Amino acid sequence: MATSAPAPGTRIVDREEIRSKLLSLVASYLEQPVTDIQSDVKLVEYGLDSIFALTLCGDVEDEYGIEVKSTLAWDHPTVDAITDHLYDTLTAEA
Amino acid sequence: MRENLVERLLQHARTVPDKDAVVFVRMHGAEPMPERVTYAELDRDARAIAEWLRGRCSAGDRALLLYPNGLDFVRAFVGCLYAGVIAIPAPVPDNNGRRGSRTSAIADNAQVRLVLTDSGHLESVTEAVQQSGLEDVPCVATDATDFGDGANGTVLSPDDDTVAFLQYTSGSTSDPKGVIVPHRSLTANLRFIADSFGLDHEDTVSCSWLPLYHDMGLIGMLLTPLLIGGTAVLMAPGDFLRRPHAWLRLFQDHRGTFTAAPNFAYDMCVRRVSQQQLAQLDLSTLQAAVNGAEPVIAATVDRFNKYFAPAGLRPDAVKPSYGMAEATLLVTGTPHGRGQLITRVDGAELEQNRFVAQSEDGDGPLMVSSGPVDRLDVRIVDPATRASQPDGRIGEVWLRGESLAIGYWNNEAETERAFNAGTSDGEQGFLRTGDLGVLSGGELYITGRSKDVIIIHGRNLYPHDIERETSQLHSALHGLQGSACVVPVGQEEEIVVMHELSPVESSGLDLADLARGIREELAATFRVRLPSVVLLRPGHVRRTTSGKVQRALMRELFMTGGLKSVHEELSAEVSRRYRAGDADGATAAPGDAA
Repeated sequence: MATSAPAPGTRIVDREEIRSKLLSLVASYLEQPVTDIQSDVKLVEYGLDSIFALTLCGDVEDEYGIEVKSTLAWDHPTVDAITDHLYDTLTAEA
Repeated sequence: MRENLVERLLQHARTVPDKDAVVFVRMHGAEPMPERVTYAELDRDARAIAEWLRGRCSAGDRALLLYPNGLDFVRAFVGCLYAGVIAIPAPVPDNNGRRGSRTSAIADNAQVRLVLTDSGHLESVTEAVQQSGLEDVPCVATDATDFGDGANGTVLSPDDDTVAFLQYTSGSTSDPKGVIVPHRSLTANLRFIADSFGLDHEDTVSCSWLPLYHDMGLIGMLLTPLLIGGTAVLMAPGDFLRRPHAWLRLFQDHRGTFTAAPNFAYDMCVRRVSQQQLAQLDLSTLQAAVNGAEPVIAATVDRFNKYFAPAGLRPDAVKPSYGMAEATLLVTGTPHGRGQLITRVDGAELEQNRFVAQSEDGDGPLMVSSGPVDRLDVRIVDPATRASQPDGRIGEVWLRGESLAIGYWNNEAETERAFNAGTSDGEQGFLRTGDLGVLSGGELYITGRSKDVIIIHGRNLYPHDIERETSQLHSALHGLQGSACVVPVGQEEEIVVMHELSPVESSGLDLADLARGIREELAATFRVRLPSVVLLRPGHVRRTTSGKVQRALMRELFMTGGLKSVHEELSAEVSRRYRAGDADGATAAPGDAA
């Protein structure tokens, strides 16, 4: 039910928090200020390769306690797209 | 007396039956879950598989092994050894089709009788095999097959000339080359590895994430400990890339003494292992950490040593080494009991193919020795004249010796060319590595690599495959020539793809759009960082009179600004380095609009 309160211990999922976490992760891989990373720009534009993609998977898994497919960043090519995917996954779990 | 791997495995099953032969550490998120197989269990399982294989193939038939890293691969591989069936380890085909075509090219070249995989990949493997026109080749999931009780299965005793396996690491997708490894070469190379790194005792524990279809993963990390009765602790490559720290944890959890990885992995550990994780690590058991399979960078060695010293890393543990599938694996390695040898050389002399040491305060590049020449004959040869070069002169590295592989499967012309070269002064029977190097003070330094292979993070990519993929991306590129290469950018290298463009088909097109599309497609297909793209008029990709693309010349022209391009779409780093002053990376060549 949409109106029910989250169960005790359940993480409250916030789309903007996910987005900002992802932006800071991407910025840290690129060693660039987070203000230089835009959430609607394709990650390949920032130099996404197979290693960058798996690094992101590991960090996302550790942050949210879920398992994600190794194709995450290819299936969802921008920070916005990954945000939506993670939001859906996390709310479906909650 | 030197026993081969099969004889040694039979002995270990008798003398240390309950010892772990292989531990596969499966990661559930951040949680390691080890799965084990003892020497007795491995022997029993492999006998059962061998018995089953005998009912389906003859000794000398080929079986393609398409597995992710794990115990099922190990059982199947040893089963093939026991049956005298020639195993061909290769990557599981992925869903973007590129590996599928590689799989079918290998299956075709080797005329495989059987494909073995696990139940998790049976469906995709069967699909890939059938799509490649090999409907008659059965695909079997070995973890879901009842092989019966193996205790009574017999073991074929191989002789020196029996082929142990084929290693398809070289050659492009369209022209795969399967390196033939007979037991003589395998035994000699495994002994060579164990002796070089001081591993000849049973408490040797390798800890590795390298793929088992890769020569360094298979031979170095799995078969070396199995020969000497140690333990191989393995994990999946993807789990290392997700959490580099998980690899280093293996050493303390399993008292690891031995590992190997390409240079980028050592860099990655320094960048991604946090101070907190570092404080928990104990690397004091690590005796040899081979750095090989891609060029060894002095700064990486230095950073890794400094960063992990507080975790007990011995200063002489990192072992810069040189090897390749055609040599079975090891060519030279920094030996046990000695630290890395790094030499500063004169940059101007280096450009003239001379290796001249410089004082420590000089400004020349630092070169890392791959170790002293030991069991192999090594010659440095001028590739044009085939004349042997004296110490200090750079040339192609040629090799001769018992531990080398013996040729390419079903490819006599390439075998003759690569494995049976002769110098101008009449010495015969050398393996041509295609790599450039120099001997100095008995040490081998690799100074340049084969022009026909691009190595990105330890993965071999072939210019030919990238060019072919590019030409299929748009009608304005169809049927025209491309030339792919890598260029240095700082400590790393980036891919540059130059390609001819049809003026007719491209008229009215937004070339910036087209070039961006090419970059994105190539990045997604090859899983590499966005390559730089240069579009040229037809005929501007230089070829020899016999029609061979002159990739080295094209690379040179790109780097020196000698190309008249129609359009360039470069990465920011490549642009900064090679097109100074052009900040946004895109240029239409002045006065050369289409």
